[in-house]
Amino acid sequence: MKMSELKSGDRAEVLSIVQGTEVARRLADMGLTMGARFKVIRKAPLGDPMEIKIDRFLLALRLEEAGQIEVKLLEKPARAVKVKQNG
Amino acid sequence: MVKKKIQIAVALAGNPNSGKTSLFNALSGAHLKVGNWPGVTVEKFEGFADYGGYSIKITDLPGIYSMEAYTPEEKVARDFLMERMSDVVVNVVDGTSLERSLYLTSQLMDMEAPLVVAVNMYDEVEHEGIKIDVKQLQKLIGCHVVPVSAVKKSGIEALFDHIIRVYEKKIEVLKNKTEYREQIETAVDEMSQVISTDPEISGKYSARWLSIRLLESDQTAYTLLKERAIWIRLGRIAEEKLRLIEADGQGAAKGKITADRHAFARGAVKETVRLPREEKATITDIIDSFVINRFVGIPFFLFVMWLLFQMTFTLGEEPMKWIASFFALLSASAVKFIPAGLGRSIIVDGILAGVGGVVVFVPNILLLFLGLSFLEGTGYMARAAFVADKFFHKIGLHGKSFIPMVTGFGCSVPALMACRTLKNRGDRLATMMVIPFMSCGAKLPVYILLIGAFLPQKSAGTMLFAIYLFGVLVAIGAAKLFKSTIFKGESEPFVMELPVYRMPGFQYILVQMWIKAWMYIKKAGTTILAASVIIWALSNFPVDKGINLTYESRAKAVMSDNSIKPYDKPALLTSIENERLSEQLKNSYAGMIGRGIEPVIKPLGFDWRIGVSLVAGIAAKEIVVSTMSTIFSLGGSDKNTEALKERLRQDKVFTIPAVLSMIIFVLLYVPCIAATTIFHKEAGELKITLFYIGFSMATAWLMAFLVYRATLIFIH
Repeated sequence: MKMSELKSGDRAEVLSIVQGTEVARRLADMGLTMGARFKVIRKAPLGDPMEIKIDRFLLALRLEEAGQIEVKLLEKPARAVKVKQNG
Repeated sequence: MVKKKIQIAVALAGNPNSGKTSLFNALSGAHLKVGNWPGVTVEKFEGFADYGGYSIKITDLPGIYSMEAYTPEEKVARDFLMERMSDVVVNVVDGTSLERSLYLTSQLMDMEAPLVVAVNMYDEVEHEGIKIDVKQLQKLIGCHVVPVSAVKKSGIEALFDHIIRVYEKKIEVLKNKTEYREQIETAVDEMSQVISTDPEISGKYSARWLSIRLLESDQTAYTLLKERAIWIRLGRIAEEKLRLIEADGQGAAKGKITADRHAFARGAVKETVRLPREEKATITDIIDSFVINRFVGIPFFLFVMWLLFQMTFTLGEEPMKWIASFFALLSASAVKFIPAGLGRSIIVDGILAGVGGVVVFVPNILLLFLGLSFLEGTGYMARAAFVADKFFHKIGLHGKSFIPMVTGFGCSVPALMACRTLKNRGDRLATMMVIPFMSCGAKLPVYILLIGAFLPQKSAGTMLFAIYLFGVLVAIGAAKLFKSTIFKGESEPFVMELPVYRMPGFQYILVQMWIKAWMYIKKAGTTILAASVIIWALSNFPVDKGINLTYESRAKAVMSDNSIKPYDKPALLTSIENERLSEQLKNSYAGMIGRGIEPVIKPLGFDWRIGVSLVAGIAAKEIVVSTMSTIFSLGGSDKNTEALKERLRQDKVFTIPAVLSMIIFVLLYVPCIAATTIFHKEAGELKITLFYIGFSMATAWLMAFLVYRATLIFIH
């Protein structure tokens, strides 16, 4: 799935990033490369950009950019699962 | 006998938010020098310290995440490091986020620079229960590693000791390097050998570094080497090796090198860092869960912006008044001591008015930058951009454009300077070009005069709001236009670290504030002063002696006329003097310009007198009002607004459509000399400044024309 589809609280691992763009290079500089694990913290109040935590630091990126990152969902937050069951 | 101390040049390199600047302050105390890097508007900080018999010069390089440079700041840091312009490089790494920091370290290792790694924020490391095996880390990265805390000022002396030991080449740590996969290492070895045969290049740069960069297809390395004689061999080898490395079909060599660096950083952290088992919520997490959450995020953001605006302009109002009255006092004494005439006029109306007009903005600039440095220093600035980005991205700008645009409601001068926080040139220029459409404080007197004279008192508030809103809408439209045409594609991707909240150092904030204010006074002062004198000259020359003689004889006639009662005489004399001034202004260069542009402004419902006022308003927008009172024969003082309003109401040129048209024109046309000068300074290219002047003039004309025609139809 794409990183932009993740919900807050989700933990995931980067599978691949569309290469050759400035964004990809910047992300690589900041440690977001293949195999990197991160947690989605939240989306901005207007729904975009999103905030993730990777290697103990916080990174914000637009959904547009997150859409170029393929990820594997590792873990959903316990709370979100509960909400789903109730609904 | 005083022996001159040997100087060691030290450069601080590290990620943004690694506490580099606080470490810089801790190392250099109060001995710092602020300048500019040659050729760019990037500030250069140098500090000085005496230690162990050496004089140590410390340069604080702009923060970088890697040696890939995107912004002018990053290029400055990259070039400095690449050209090895210091004796020792201190790599500041954030101890609480070591893996990311070591990515840059691996590149510095490639450059074979005399390196000391300072693990900063060691107090936080210990506080959070993180364990770092410094000895092992030292072995892995092959250089001295010193735990420091810039905030607690611990480890500073140890860092100095290590700097000196590295400088004296008393190195106890075995050199090590980032180990790349074998294919890459063989390629690098072969290429390095070729580069070493060019003494000029290998004397200045690290051969290993250049080889690696060539494999990464780096433009800077390529440009540097392609003109050299060795390129014939080197280029061939590089091409052949790249083919070999990429033969497995697993992507470009560049990606592989990046991956290996990350693997190195990850491995080093795995071997040396023990994280606490449980991940506790940090203070930052707690603050963030409030200030940028779904519900409070936007109101809090608006509140902070409101506070910044209030602080800049409300708090700045009093000191502005002091400065204004100080200059009024100077003018008054000049009037008292210098006899009337051109000399007095140039001092009072030209120089004092010009300098006063510049200095009066200093409180605003100091306060705004006090607020901005505080927001930047605490870490909220990045979050403000995070919250606002969606809206601004929609109109083609960046989340960070918000602060300059809000500031623009107060004054364009600090607003244009605040655009420096936008790193991308396209984003920055587009924001700068629309800032003056945010109606500034100096335009308010013009609106108040015109609204007060021609519109019902009840609707004044609504009308003012409509004017401001109109400005905002034009700004949004223009921003969209720019970003889809001339600055198309030039946009900063929003990939931004949200730094940990910190209390910024007092010294840091003061220094930041002072730099901005001083830059303004120095650069703008000269140009604005010159421009003010020119506009003064335009309004006062040529002096028509005939007019003066006519009015002097009329004044004399009044004086000697016994049929006029003595207490009526002063009023009569004043009105004669006012008429004289009006006549002179009409015949001055400004008057000629006003009449010259009459055909152009006629379609907007203006006559030459409004033209003169608008031309004079380029010096400062408030001057539109005082020029109007001169030209409509009320004397130079703008205090008498009631009389001026009455006078305007009687004048045929001021129909309601013409009044609205004038309001729109004043809202949109080229900003004052001060703002235009600062625009030029920040944009850095005459071409862009000229385009900008043309653009704002064209927009003002077009919008005023549309409003004029529309209201004409509406009224008839």
